Amino acid sequence: MKPSRIAAVLEKETKEIARDPVTVAIALIMPIMMLFLFGYAISLDVDDIPMGVLDHDRSPASRQLVDEFVQSGYFRLADTYATPEAMEGAIQRNEVMLALVIPPRFHQALVRGEAAPVQVIVDGTYAASANLAAAYAESIISAFPEAVAPAARVEVRVWYNPALRSANFIVPGLFGVILMAFPPLLTALAITREKESGSIQQIFASPLTPAEFLAGKLVPYGLIAFVQLVTVIVIGFLWFGVPMRGSLGLLLAVGLVYVFTTVGIGLLVSTIANSQVVAMLLALIVALMPSTLFSGFLFPIFTMPYAAQLYARTLPAGYFVDFSRGLVLRGAGLPELWPSVALLLAYTLIVFALAVWRFRKKVA
Amino acid sequence: MAQSHSDIIRTERLGRRFRGRWAIQDIDLGIARGEIVGLVGPDGAGKTTLLQLLAAILDPSEGQCRVLGHDSVCESAEITSRIGYMAQGFTLYDRLTVAENLAFAAKVRNVSAAQLAERRQRLLAMAGLGTFLDRREGALSGGMRKKLALCTNLVHAPPLLLLDEPGLGVDPLSRRELWRMLEAYRRDGATIVFSTSYMDEAEICDRVAFLDAGRMIALGTPDELRARGTGAVFSVDSSQPAAVENALGREPEVLGVQWQARQVRFVVRPGDPLSSRLRAILAHLGRVEPARPTIEDIFVILTAGARHAADGEIEPASEARAFGPAESATSGIATNRLSRRFDSFVAVDDVSFEIGAGEVFGLLGANGAGKTTLIRMLCGLLPPSSGSARVAGIDAVTDPQVLRQNIGYMSQRFSLYPDLSVGENLRFFASAYGLGRRAARDAITWASAVTGLAEFERQTVAHLSGAVRQRLGLACTILHRPAVVFLDEPTSGVDPLSRYRFWRLVNALGAAGTTVLVTTHYLEEAAYCHRLGLMHEGRMIAVGDLASLCAGLPSDVPATVEGVFVAYIERERARMARSGSKAS
Repeated sequence: MKPSRIAAVLEKETKEIARDPVTVAIALIMPIMMLFLFGYAISLDVDDIPMGVLDHDRSPASRQLVDEFVQSGYFRLADTYATPEAMEGAIQRNEVMLALVIPPRFHQALVRGEAAPVQVIVDGTYAASANLAAAYAESIISAFPEAVAPAARVEVRVWYNPALRSANFIVPGLFGVILMAFPPLLTALAITREKESGSIQQIFASPLTPAEFLAGKLVPYGLIAFVQLVTVIVIGFLWFGVPMRGSLGLLLAVGLVYVFTTVGIGLLVSTIANSQVVAMLLALIVALMPSTLFSGFLFPIFTMPYAAQLYARTLPAGYFVDFSRGLVLRGAGLPELWPSVALLLAYTLIVFALAVWRFRKKVA
Repeated sequence: MAQSHSDIIRTERLGRRFRGRWAIQDIDLGIARGEIVGLVGPDGAGKTTLLQLLAAILDPSEGQCRVLGHDSVCESAEITSRIGYMAQGFTLYDRLTVAENLAFAAKVRNVSAAQLAERRQRLLAMAGLGTFLDRREGALSGGMRKKLALCTNLVHAPPLLLLDEPGLGVDPLSRRELWRMLEAYRRDGATIVFSTSYMDEAEICDRVAFLDAGRMIALGTPDELRARGTGAVFSVDSSQPAAVENALGREPEVLGVQWQARQVRFVVRPGDPLSSRLRAILAHLGRVEPARPTIEDIFVILTAGARHAADGEIEPASEARAFGPAESATSGIATNRLSRRFDSFVAVDDVSFEIGAGEVFGLLGANGAGKTTLIRMLCGLLPPSSGSARVAGIDAVTDPQVLRQNIGYMSQRFSLYPDLSVGENLRFFASAYGLGRRAARDAITWASAVTGLAEFERQTVAHLSGAVRQRLGLACTILHRPAVVFLDEPTSGVDPLSRYRFWRLVNALGAAGTTVLVTTHYLEEAAYCHRLGLMHEGRMIAVGDLASLCAGLPSDVPATVEGVFVAYIERERARMARSGSKAS
């Protein structure tokens, strides 16, 4: 490895990138767009659930129960029904997501201190929201009536994200996914473009070693990726108001390591692909898709089938998502998170070594 | 063959296979220090593969290859770090400037800053690029880009230079400068191996290697090779060269024909005497004399037999009228003070000329002289800044839509669809011209017959040789039987024999009444044209047939196309310099 030759490649690559302002602009704007899309579109929060009521009792107690639902803020009273058929029709037409059925003599049973069963029907089409709606309903009902002293009450306290805001959870995960989306794509084109234009032959017939050439390519693209990361972090905290409980310095430092993992994957892809189109598709399949689905960004890894968990654990994105959420939300530092950091470092080195090994200075 | 240990290159039974097909096979070649060796052969002969094997950027499938004393497989790094290798086409970074490209090449090749500063000045001065240091490579003309590529390969003073078609797509003046640079470099004792389709480049080699279908079929000094053609080359002095060409074209014993101003050269199989029948035919037309063979003649002799089978036969008896335009036009092309400016740059400057119907008109000029811009205006693809043009009787400025139905334009690197078959390409272009199903079928049958493509109908274009692709390009261009055809460097990169055949097609088009305007960098091809126009820096500096162009020059100028071309451009430059100094 000769530093002067790496510097020559680095300088040349930087100039080429700088003279292609369109690509640079796209590289900087796309992550921001993705952040806004995901930050707003993916909301796991459930509120304003439309509900219907079939009240067979029509008593003060039944009216009070319905009121409790509305007062909770999670539900909106969409309609009341006189018959079970009318209620069923409303669910069928997707007018309400949850229906509350209050039996006759509900008030009477409460007054006598007897069990007063209430039926809750939830449209399970959207399983995740349905679960939440059912859980909210259950907690409201179990707390009713306040007059009756319960045997035992569970008090739930949510740590780290007490408001259970989706953005707090999504945005730190997005740092990991966005860096898997764009840097590999851009870098994968870096070498295939030279293959298509033929300039790679000048590289082959020169003293440059594969490691020197790839290192020179890695740095400028790594820097672009780092700028992408910083942009996304800044917008995440300032715009989405995500709390920052850990050390920003540590987040950036480990982010830098992760940046080189993602750029390295792009380089590896471009040593395999022979055209820019193939390189782009490969980068999508190898980097973006698995990191969206298997990083734990949206779906927790521990709920996946065993084989999928093993697969998910081979991808670097998951480790950065873990690290980023741990640091941002839980305020954890290196003592707690070092395994993820060590794995990311190892990953970066392995990917670069693979790319160097794959890159042969031969035309065929 | 004498091989010594001082050989810079030594190959033994060198071969390379791609997907079971041998691209190069059984090459035993020894090249001594300081030698200059040219690789010549038809398209697909394996010239590029051989150069890549020598450059150690391709591993052989068989045999071995030692370059500069190192094995090309185990010690490839030793080779690649020392040689200069210039690939075909333009392989520099178009977004970097001239200076930056050169600096990059120097730095990755361990040239110190001091050495670079000293060599840069010398190289760029020699290449005439000294004043373009800050111009981006992509904004240079083709000839300048090639010269810069050569500079980047000379900056580390390599002992061995491998060049793949250095003159391809480069105008004659730039090509001269390129060779001047190579000669200066060679005086320092370096070795050069290069491939070429220009036979004049082959003439100046120490030795020439002929490749055909992956094998080396001949190797020797130009003199040795020319000796093989003794008694097989004749010239006919005649006032009717077209009639002579026609007569020769029908004779199976004639392997190749070439026109010069008032002379037709032809080649027969060596050893066979000229048949009395042919002598009798030619006796009416002019005086037949044995001629001194050129390397091009040897090329024709060496490859003639094999090529006919491989490339498909063009129907020799295609009657001229079969080529005719759909509606016979009475006028060809006429321009009046046609100009085109791009911002402050004048690409075409006040050009007025006329081409009659059925004339084959050759447009010559350096890269960037304005030929392509002129053609694009005549095709109605680019509106002129001022002036007017009529093509096939249609105003090219006001009626470009009508015009396009009546012309055919084969651009540089004609855009065929490489993943489609020959038939599919033809059908696509037929529908693009709006031919009905029946008319399209007839047109395709006709065009494939006259261009000899019938047997390739089902083959994928990507797998065809350059010569066949070029004929397919022509077929697609003439499907709708246009009155005027524009061919922009149609023969670039195609071997001499295929070029000759292509020109016979072009001449048949002309004979049938189609007006043809063609550009070329192979100056010897100008002899196939009825008249020539020389362009220089946007202006048409001379128009006429070769004889009248010669007559306009002092008698000491050599009566070749190249001599005339260079003389006119030098005269124009001198005139410009004089008027420039007067103005200031």
